[in-house]
Amino acid sequence: MGSLLKIHELTKIFPGQVALDGVDLEIETGSTHALVGQNGSGKSTLIKVLCGFHQPTGESSASYYPQSIMNTPSLDEPIELRLGDGKAAANAGIRFVHQDLGLVDSFNAIENISMGVGYTKRFGGAIDWRADRKRAEEGLATLGFPDIDVNIPVGLLAPSQKTAVAIARALHDWDKGASLLVLDEPTASLPGADVERLFTAVRRLQEKGVAILYVSHHLDEVFEIADTATILRDGKRIATLPINELDHDKMIELMIGHTLIKRQQASRELTGSEKGLIIQGLTGGTLAGINLHVEPGEIVGVAGIMGSGREMLVPLITGQTPSDQGAVAVDGMQIQNYSPKSAINAGMAFLSADRYSQGVIAIQSVRNNLTLSDVKRNWSSFKLDHKAEKVEADQWIEKLDVKTPTSETPIGSLSGGNQQKVLFGRSLRLEPSVLVLDEPTRGIDVGAKEEIHQLVDQASKDNAAVLVASTDTDELIRLSHRVVVMVNGRISEELKGDQMTVENIERAQLQSQEQKMKAGTHGNA
Amino acid sequence: METPEKSTTEEGNDLGSSPGGSIWSQLGFDRFSALYVLVAFFIFFGITEESFLMWNGSLEFVLTDKIVVLMLALAFLVPLTTEAFDLSIGAIAALALLIVNKIALETDLPQGLGALIAIGACLVIGWVNGFIVVKLRVNSFIATLGMSQVVAAIIRNIHDGGQINGELSKTYRSFGKGDIFAFDWPGTGSEIALPWYFLYGLIITFIVYYILEHTPTGRHMFATGGNPEAARLSGINTDRLTWGSLVGSAALAGFAGLVYSWKVGIYTTSFGAPLLFPAVAAVFFGASQLRGRPNVWGTVIAVYTLAFGIKGIGLRYPREISWIQPMFEGLTLLIAVAIASRQLIIKVQKRKLSKEDPDSSESENISDSA
Repeated sequence: MGSLLKIHELTKIFPGQVALDGVDLEIETGSTHALVGQNGSGKSTLIKVLCGFHQPTGESSASYYPQSIMNTPSLDEPIELRLGDGKAAANAGIRFVHQDLGLVDSFNAIENISMGVGYTKRFGGAIDWRADRKRAEEGLATLGFPDIDVNIPVGLLAPSQKTAVAIARALHDWDKGASLLVLDEPTASLPGADVERLFTAVRRLQEKGVAILYVSHHLDEVFEIADTATILRDGKRIATLPINELDHDKMIELMIGHTLIKRQQASRELTGSEKGLIIQGLTGGTLAGINLHVEPGEIVGVAGIMGSGREMLVPLITGQTPSDQGAVAVDGMQIQNYSPKSAINAGMAFLSADRYSQGVIAIQSVRNNLTLSDVKRNWSSFKLDHKAEKVEADQWIEKLDVKTPTSETPIGSLSGGNQQKVLFGRSLRLEPSVLVLDEPTRGIDVGAKEEIHQLVDQASKDNAAVLVASTDTDELIRLSHRVVVMVNGRISEELKGDQMTVENIERAQLQSQEQKMKAGTHGNA
Repeated sequence: METPEKSTTEEGNDLGSSPGGSIWSQLGFDRFSALYVLVAFFIFFGITEESFLMWNGSLEFVLTDKIVVLMLALAFLVPLTTEAFDLSIGAIAALALLIVNKIALETDLPQGLGALIAIGACLVIGWVNGFIVVKLRVNSFIATLGMSQVVAAIIRNIHDGGQINGELSKTYRSFGKGDIFAFDWPGTGSEIALPWYFLYGLIITFIVYYILEHTPTGRHMFATGGNPEAARLSGINTDRLTWGSLVGSAALAGFAGLVYSWKVGIYTTSFGAPLLFPAVAAVFFGASQLRGRPNVWGTVIAVYTLAFGIKGIGLRYPREISWIQPMFEGLTLLIAVAIASRQLIIKVQKRKLSKEDPDSSESENISDSA
C-alpha cells in the first residue's frame, strides 16, 4: 500500500486562535485512518479545510496520488492538491459525509441520492426515475444495506440506514475514482446496535480499496475500525500511530495531555429503605414489566442494547410516554394521573436523552432555561422578581461551573456540555428525591463528562435516588453502585461491585440477543 | 487560554439583547427603531402638515381609532407566544359587533347583556379553536383559518350583507364613549378628551403585559412556544396553555368588537376580517422591537408608528391613501420579518461557527479542565 494523500504543514488561524498549527497528515491507500482529539483540538477545522469550507492560512500544501480502484496501478507522481478548494478535493476523489448527513427527511432514498449526484435525465429533461432507482439500489446493496426500502421517506429509516444513504450518495461514483471517504462523527446519532451495521459497510468499502478518514469521539469505535490513528491536541498533531501500539488509556492521555484519574463509586450496601424510587410492573412500548427499587443515595445504572427496553424506561418513568400498566412511587407515595408534571410534583427530576429537542429552549436565556421547572419560586408580591431570579441563576452558574458570558445569554449558543450542566441545574434546583437520567453525557467530550459525573455523585450524596440509563458502559461503571441489564423488556441481570466490568455488562446485554433469537426459533418451531 | 473566553463574551453580547459597543446599538437603533421612525414622522409631518399635531386634527383620531387594532394585535400576540397562530380573530371581532347590534335591534334585552352574550359567543369559538388545535392536533394556522371561514358563514347566516344599525342606546355607548382626561389643549382652545374605551384598552394592554412578562404563566407560554416538548417535560401543561391562549385571544378579539360598538356602533361588512392584517403586521413589526421576540410594548409601539405614518401620508396625499395604506402595512410586515429572519440567520450562523470552530466555548471548557 502506498500513500494516497499527504498534507504538509497545514495551518489555520482564526482571529485570536490558532486552530491548526502545522499539521502533517498522511493517509495510505485503502487504510482506515482515525482522527481523534477533544472538541477544539482542530479535527473539525481540518475536515473543513479539506472539503473547502475554510481556507488554510499561510504555506500549507498537500498532494495526492491519483489512482483508480479499478485495478489500474497507482501513478508514482503525486499531484498537487489545492487545500481549501472543494472542487479540487472532489476531483482528487475525496468524498465527505458530515455529521448531520444532509438528507431531506421527507424525500426517499432515490431522491436523496439523486439530489447530490444529479438526476439522470431522459430526452426532454424528464427525470429517468428508473435509472435513478437502479443507481440507489445498487449503491445501497454495495454497502450491505439491500434491505433499505428506497421508496419510503428517509425520515422513516433507522439511523444506520440513513447514514448508509448518505454514504451511498457520497460514493455514487466511487468506481470512477473515489479514493477517500471522510466520515465526520458518523455514529453521533446512532444507537449501539446500528454502529455495527455501519462498520460492516465501512469494511466493505475498505475491501474495495476505499480509504476512510474516520473522525469520532468514541474511542471504542476507533479501536474497532481503524488501523492508524492521528491524535490532535490544541491544533497540533501529537502523534500518528498504528492502532495496535495504542490502548484506551494511552490515547486519552495523548488527547488531553495528562492521565485521566479514574474514579469509581465506592461500594454501598442496601439499607432496606422504603423510600426512593419504586417501580412496579411498569409496562409499555418495548417494556414488558419492570420491577426496580432505587434507594435514597443510591445510583443504579441501566444497560441494554437498542430494543431491549432500556430506551423506553426513562420516558415511561417520567411520564413523557404513557405507560400501559404498572406503578411508580416516589418516597412511598404512588404517582397518580401520570404526566411529567405529576412526576415532578411527586419529587422527581429528570433529563431526557435528546438534549436539543427535549431539553433546552435554545432561543431563551440560560436563566429562563434554568428556572423553567419551578418559575414560581421567584414570585413575590404578585410579580416575578427578575432580579432575584438573576441572582439565583448566577449562583447556579457558579456552582455548576457553566461557561457562559452571562445568565442572559441564549442557551443555544453554549456548548453541549454547558447546556447539559444548565439542564442539570434545572433538575437539581428542584432538590429531587429521585433523579432519572437518560444518556446524561451523550455527545459531550471527556473533560465535561467528568464534571457531569461529579454532579451525579453529588446528587446521590445529597440523598437522591439516582437512575442512569446509558449506552456508554464505561459511564455506567463509573457512576453506578449497581447496574441492571435489560433484556427483551425485562431486567435480566443485576451486577454489583467487582462484577461491574465492561465485559460482564456487554456479555449480559448480548446474551439477551441470543436468548431472543433462541426464543424466536422456538416460537417458529 | 485567554482568547476563546474573550470571543465567547463578545459572542454572548451579539446574541443577547444587551447593547454592544457601537454607537448604533448604544442609541438603541436595534431595539427602538420604531420609536425613531415615529419621531421622524412627527417631525416631518408636524412641519409639513399643519393639522398633524392638532389634537382634533389627527392625535385624538389616531390614539382612539387604533385601540381596535391594538386589541386585535394583542389577540394575535397571546397565542403566538405559544407558537399558535390565530387567524380567526378578525372574524370573531366582527361576530361580537354583529351580535351586539342584532340583540339591540331585535330583542328587548339590556344592551349591556347583549355585550356579555357577544363575549360569551367569542369564548365558545375560542374554546373550539383550542379543542381543534390541542385535542385534534390540527395545525393552528389551518384550524383558525378554517374557523374564520366558519365564523364568516355564521355571520352571513345571522345577517346577509350590508350594514346593520342596532341603534345602540346612549347609556350603552356611554360605557365606552364617555370622556375621561378632559382638559383644554394649551393655547388652542380645543378640548382634549379621551374616551373610556381608551382607558380600558390601556388597562387590558397592561394586564396582558403583566401576564406575559411578570408571571410564571407567561414564562411557561414562551417556553411552550420555544420548545413544546422541553416545556412539557419541565412539568408545564402545554396543552392547557395553548388552549387557554386561544380562548384568551378570542376574548380579546371580542373586546375589539365591543370597542367598535362603543366607538361607531354600526355593524358593516368592512369591519372584522380586513383588520386581521394590520394586527398581524403590528405584532411582527413589534417583535423586532425591544426584546427580539413578540412582546406587548413592541406591539403597542408598532401599532401607533404604523398608524401615525399612515395618518401623515393620508394628510399629505389624501387621494392616494387608499392604496398607500395597504402598501405601507404590507411592506412594513415584509421588512420587519425579513430583518428579524436576517438577525436569526446571523445568530444561527454564529452559533454554528462557534460550535464547529476551535474558538468555541467547548474548547475553553477543555483547556480549563485540562
